[in-house]
Amino acid sequence: MSAPAIDVQRLTKRFGDFTAVDDVSFSVARGEVFGLLGPNGAGKSTTIRMLCGILGPTAGRGEVAGHDIVGEPEAVRARIGYMSQKFSLYLDLSVLENLEFYGGVYGLGRDRLGERIGWALEMAGLRERGDQLAAELPAGWRQRLALGCALLHEPEVVFLDEPTAGADPMSRRQFWEVIYELRGAGVTTLVSTHYMDEAERCDRLGFIFAGKLAALDRPDRLKQVREKGTLVEVECDRPAAAAAALQATAGFASARLHGAGIHVGLDEPAGAAAGVRSALEEAGFRVERAEVVGPTLEDVFVSLIEEMEASSGAAVR
Amino acid sequence: MNLRRAWAISEKELRYLLRDPRSLGVTLLLPVVLLALFGYAINFDVKHIPLAVYDPDASPESRDLAQALTRTEYFRAAGTIGAPAEADAVLARGEAKVVLVIPAGFGRDIAAGRPVRIQTLVNGSDSLTASVALGYLEGMLGDWARRRAGEALPRQTRGAAIDPKVRIWYNEDLSSVKFITPGLAVFILMLLAALLTSQTIVREREQGTMEGLVASPVTAKEVLLGKLLPYVAIALADVALVAAAGRLLFHIPLRGGPLLLLALLLLYLLAALGLGLLISATARTQQGAYLVAFIGTLLPTLLLTGFIFPVSSMPKVLQAIVQLHPSTHFMVIARAMTLKGAGLAALWPRAVALAALAAAVLGLTAARFRKTL
Amino acid sequence: MRNRLRTLIRKEVLQLRRDRRIVAMLVAAPLLQLFIFGYAVTLDVKHISLVVCDLARTSESRELTGSLSRSEYFDVAGWVDSPSEVDAYLASGRALVALSIPRDFSKRRSRGETAEVQVIIDGTDMNSAGIAAGYVGALMSHYDRTHPETIRAAGGVSHEPRIWYNPNLDSVTYMVPAVICMILATVMTAATAVSLVRERETGTLEQLIVTPVRPIEVMLGKTFPFAAIGLVDVGLIVLLARYWFGVAAAGSIPLLFLSAAIFLLTTLGLGLFISSVSRTQQQAMLTAFFVIIPSVLLSGFIFPIENMPQPVQWLTYLLPLRYFVTIVRGIFLQGVGMGILWPQFAALVASGGAIFAMSAARFQKRLG
Repeated sequence: MSAPAIDVQRLTKRFGDFTAVDDVSFSVARGEVFGLLGPNGAGKSTTIRMLCGILGPTAGRGEVAGHDIVGEPEAVRARIGYMSQKFSLYLDLSVLENLEFYGGVYGLGRDRLGERIGWALEMAGLRERGDQLAAELPAGWRQRLALGCALLHEPEVVFLDEPTAGADPMSRRQFWEVIYELRGAGVTTLVSTHYMDEAERCDRLGFIFAGKLAALDRPDRLKQVREKGTLVEVECDRPAAAAAALQATAGFASARLHGAGIHVGLDEPAGAAAGVRSALEEAGFRVERAEVVGPTLEDVFVSLIEEMEASSGAAVR
Repeated sequence: MNLRRAWAISEKELRYLLRDPRSLGVTLLLPVVLLALFGYAINFDVKHIPLAVYDPDASPESRDLAQALTRTEYFRAAGTIGAPAEADAVLARGEAKVVLVIPAGFGRDIAAGRPVRIQTLVNGSDSLTASVALGYLEGMLGDWARRRAGEALPRQTRGAAIDPKVRIWYNEDLSSVKFITPGLAVFILMLLAALLTSQTIVREREQGTMEGLVASPVTAKEVLLGKLLPYVAIALADVALVAAAGRLLFHIPLRGGPLLLLALLLLYLLAALGLGLLISATARTQQGAYLVAFIGTLLPTLLLTGFIFPVSSMPKVLQAIVQLHPSTHFMVIARAMTLKGAGLAALWPRAVALAALAAAVLGLTAARFRKTL
Repeated sequence: MRNRLRTLIRKEVLQLRRDRRIVAMLVAAPLLQLFIFGYAVTLDVKHISLVVCDLARTSESRELTGSLSRSEYFDVAGWVDSPSEVDAYLASGRALVALSIPRDFSKRRSRGETAEVQVIIDGTDMNSAGIAAGYVGALMSHYDRTHPETIRAAGGVSHEPRIWYNPNLDSVTYMVPAVICMILATVMTAATAVSLVRERETGTLEQLIVTPVRPIEVMLGKTFPFAAIGLVDVGLIVLLARYWFGVAAAGSIPLLFLSAAIFLLTTLGLGLFISSVSRTQQQAMLTAFFVIIPSVLLSGFIFPIENMPQPVQWLTYLLPLRYFVTIVRGIFLQGVGMGILWPQFAALVASGGAIFAMSAARFQKRLG
C-alpha cells in the first residue's frame, strides 16, 4: 500500500480573527477522485490553496505527492497541477500561446511539449481555435483550456477549485470524462464543488462547513448514515405555498423545497407518502406525485448544515 | 435625469474609495508633501550663483565692481583665479557658474571716464541659470556703470539722465512659494483627474462590473454625474488643505473674492475631472488610461501651462496650442486672484475660456460614453 | 532555469505586442517630452509684455518708449492714458511690466534735472520679475549712452558675455539629459508596478506561484521588456536630439547606455517593490506617483540641489535619480567619462542593488 497522495493533518488557517480553515484532517489515496463539498466561503478554496503552497498554514501540516507543503513547496509544485476559480489564463494571449507558456514554465522539451499541446487541444476541443485569444472564448472553452494548461506536465496530483462553475451540463459531463481518464492513468484528483451531481461522482467526499470538516466518507455511505426515517418527495402546484402549508401542519414540520418539488422527512415509514398527499389535498393543493425516495446528497448536506448550525449557533453563509 | 440613481453611483464610488485608505491617503497627502517641498526644499529663484573673479587690475574700482555683484543675493563670491586659463577648470568643475574677467587698467580707465569692456564667462550647460544670470549681469553692470560714471563727473555736469524707480507689486518679497502655491493647487487638481478619474470607468469595464450597469436603468449621463461627484469632493478637500497649509505655513494671501474663486475653481474642476472621465471612457485598459492621462494632462500641466516656466517664453505656436488646456487659464486665474486681488473685470476672458473648455470636455465625454460594452 | 526565464519573457513580449497602444505610448512619451522640454522649458524671459502710460507725449518720451519696444526684451502690450488703467493690465496678466512717464519728463530733462520714470513689475513670477528688473536697468543705461546730451555718454561700461558649453543657451541641450532621466524614472517605474499588480488582480500570479517558476525569474521576466523599451527610448531620444535639434552628446554613448541600464535596475526594482505592497492597479499607480514626484523634484534635474537647505541636500544622497542626473548631464554636456563619474556609478550600483534585493526579499511565492 503506497503512501497517500494527499495527507492533511490538523490544517488550520487564520486571517486575523477569522478562522477560515479549522483543524481539518483527511487523506486521499493515490488515484482517488476526492471531492470537497461546501457552501461558499466554507474554506474549500483556502484549503486547496494551502495544499498548493499559495497560502501558508497557520497550524497543522500537509503532504502532497510525498513532500511537505511547508518545507518543500517547490517539490510539491513540480508534481501538481492547479486550476483556480478564476481559471488564471492570460486573456490577451491566444489558446496556443497560453499552452506554450505553461508548457515552457514546466520545462517541457520541444517534442514533449508538442505532444502534450496536441493532447490538450484535442481534450479541450480547441484544435480549430488555436489562434483565438483566450478572452474571446466562451466560458466553457476557457475552463477546458485552463484544465489543459494545468495538466500539460502530467502531474501526479491535480487540484481543481470549482472547475465547472457556470458551465453547461454538457461541458460538465465532458469535464468529468477527462477526470475519469486521469483516474484511469493513476492521477489523484482533488476537486471542490457545490454541484451535487458532481459530488456523487467522487470516490470520497469531504463536507466542509465554516472551516470544519463535517463529514468524510463515500457518497453512498454518507447517504446511508444519514438515513433515519423516510423521505417523501412531492410534486405539486404552487410548491412554495405548499411547503409553507406543510410546515404549519403537525408532523410535517421538516418540509422544505427541493428543486421544483418538496421533500418531507418523516419518522414512520408506512403510509408516509399517503399521509402527505392527503394533507396537501385537504389544504387545496393538487398533488401530482408523492413517493418515498432515498436521501440525495443535497438532503444529507442540508441536514448536516442544520445540525451544525444548531450546535454552534452559526448562521449559514 | 434621475438624481437618486446618480447618487447611488456616487455612493458606490465613495465606498470603493474609502475601502482603499492608502490611495485616499495618498491623494490627500501628496499635495501637502508637494507644498512642503516647494515651501522648504525647492526653490528655483536663481540666486547665490557662484561667481569667480579674475582681477589683474586689483584697483579699488575693480574691487568695487566685484563686490557690487557679490553683495547682492543673486551672486555669491566663489573665489578668485590667477590666470584666464584657470577659468576653464573652475567652470568645468562647477566651482563657479560665472567668471568675471576684469581687464588690466580697469581702474584707471573708469576714473578717467574712458570706455571699458568687461567680459563674463558663463557656463551655458545649465541654460536655466545661465540665461537668468545673464539678465542679472546686464542689469547690474549697467547700474554700476551709471552710478560710477555719474559720481566721476563734476556735480554741475551730472543730470539730464533718466532714473527708473522700480516697484514690485503683488509678490513684494519675491517669494517663490507664493508664486508656486496657487499653481500647485492647479497642478494637484489635474493630478487627481489623471490618477483617479481616469481610472474609474475603465476599471469597471476591466473588472466586468460595467455589464451590471449597462443592464440596469441607469443612464449614461447619470453614471457620469455619479462618478464625477465624489472626486469633486475629494478635489475640494485637497484644495482646502493646500490653501490652509499655504496660509498657515507660508502666509499666502487671498486677495481676491473667495466666492468668485470658488466658482471658477469648480469650473476648472469640471474641466479637469471631465478630462479624466473622457480618458476613462475611451481607454481600453487601466494601464492605457494611466499612460494617456500622464502624457495628456499631467505632463503638460507641469511643464507647459505656466506652473513653473512662463508661457510667454514659449514659441508662439506652442503658446496657442496651450490655450486649449484648461490648466493654462486657471493657472492665471488662481495666481491673479490670490496674489493680485484681480476680479472678473480683469479675468473675464480667461473665465469664459475655462467655461467653454469645461463645456466642451463634458459634452465630448457624454457623447463618447454610451452604455455599451 | 534559463528556459523558464525565456518563457516568461516571451509571454511579456507577446502581451505587450498585443496591446499596441501601450507600446506606442511608451515610445511616444519620451519623444513628446523631448519636444516639450526642448521648446517650452526655459526660464529665459524675452518679449516681456509691457504697458506704457506716457503722460508726457513728447518726442523724447516717445523715443524712450520706442527704444524699449524695439528691443527684443520687451513687447508693448498696450498704451494707456492714465495710471489707473495700468492696474487692469497688470492684474489680468496682460502685461508684466508697466512704464509710466510723468508729464514733466521732457521739461526736467531740458532743465538738466534727472527725470524719473515709474516702473512697476508684477512680482508674481519672481524669476521673470528679477530678469525684467535687470532688463529695465540695462535698457535705461543703453538709452543714456546713446543720447549725446547726457554727459554720461562719455565713458561707460560695456558688457561682453561669453557663454561656454552651450553658446546659444539652448534649453534643449540642457534638457535632453533631463528627459532621459525623467522617462526612465517615471513611466518605467509605474508601468512595471502596474503590470505586476495586474497579474495579481486577474489571478494569473496565483497560477504562476503554483508552477516551478522562481521569484527571481518572475521579477526578471517582468522587468526585462520594460528595460528593453527603456533603452530603446534612450536611443530614440539621443537620435532625435541629434538629428532634429542638432544636439550631439559630448561624451561616450555606450557609457550613457550603461548608466541607463544600471539606473533601470533601480527604477524597475522600485516598481516591483511598489507592486508587492499594492493590491489594486490604482493603488500601485498612486503609490508610484507618491514616490516618484518628490524624488524627481529633489533630484536636481530642474531645481539645483545646491539651492536646497542642507538637511534636504543630505536626503538627496539617498536618491538614485540624483546620481543618474549627474552622470547623464556629465556625459551629455561635458563629455566627461568614468574617470570623473565613477563615484556616481558606484552609488548607482549600490542603491540599485539594494532596491532590487529588497524587492526580491518581498517576492516570496506566497500570497498570504
